Amino acid sequence: MKDIAIILRRSPYGDINAAEAVRHAMGGVADELGVDLILIDAGVLLAKQGQDDTDTGFTNLGEALTDCMEMGVDVYADKHSIREQDMDTADIPEGIKVITGAEIAELVKNAKTTLIY
Amino acid sequence: MSKTFTLLLGTSPYSYENTLTTVKIAESALSKGHTVNVIASGDGVYCFLKGQKAKGITNAEEKFTELIEKGLRVYL
Amino acid sequence: MFVIVKSGPDTQDGKRGVKLARDLSADICLVQNAVYFAKKERLEGFCGILYVLEDDLRLRGLKDGELEGGIKKLSYDGLVGIMADEDKVVGIF
Repeated sequence: MKDIAIILRRSPYGDINAAEAVRHAMGGVADELGVDLILIDAGVLLAKQGQDDTDTGFTNLGEALTDCMEMGVDVYADKHSIREQDMDTADIPEGIKVITGAEIAELVKNAKTTLIY
Repeated sequence: MSKTFTLLLGTSPYSYENTLTTVKIAESALSKGHTVNVIASGDGVYCFLKGQKAKGITNAEEKFTELIEKGLRVYL
Repeated sequence: MFVIVKSGPDTQDGKRGVKLARDLSADICLVQNAVYFAKKERLEGFCGILYVLEDDLRLRGLKDGELEGGIKKLSYDGLVGIMADEDKVVGIF
């Protein structure tokens, strides 16, 4: 059983939600909590490769997502949302598990706490 | 021909990308010799608080201070 | 007429801005999350000029091959130039 399931429903950069989801996922694992980060709806766009933050002042959230995984966060992306966003499962970086709605329901059911962004 | 740009900023500094968009449009318009007004409305007024420490995202205080020095007019 | 849209295709605001531009036969510039509208087939039959802010495309990792044909990329300077030249600018949705 994981301590926290973080669900991200929003695409990166337009608002702060994706950055906050990633920040709290990192905070969770840094405090030795078990964290699942689940990308659904436009949240799957966070997994898009080749994000370039040059001259924008933003933290590169694609790289931050990779850092998250290296720190021990388990990252999942919803198969249906990937299709809805005109992405292909082949576009999803290695290490992110592509799962179904039923599997997401299981992750949420089995987590002690859920944070929704 | 010089024109006047009036930008309405209605969101808090770090929850949306609007701070960056406003800063970049204002910066470019000022550099082309236009007059630029920013009207901060609602939570937009928080962009102009002193002592902001934001990193990894456009620091509203820092950028707007730079632009005010370049001629930006701000109305709260 | 020039319409600027910042909200994504998954939002009512984004859809409203694009519909208004279509109804007005206006030119459009997509910024922030609205750049996702620039992906192929999302703006089929749009009759105005379709601009997209290059910085916001790059930030989100969108590549040329994913974009609607004929779309024009703009810098902030390019966007400001068009805003200054247009009689009427509507937005930002």
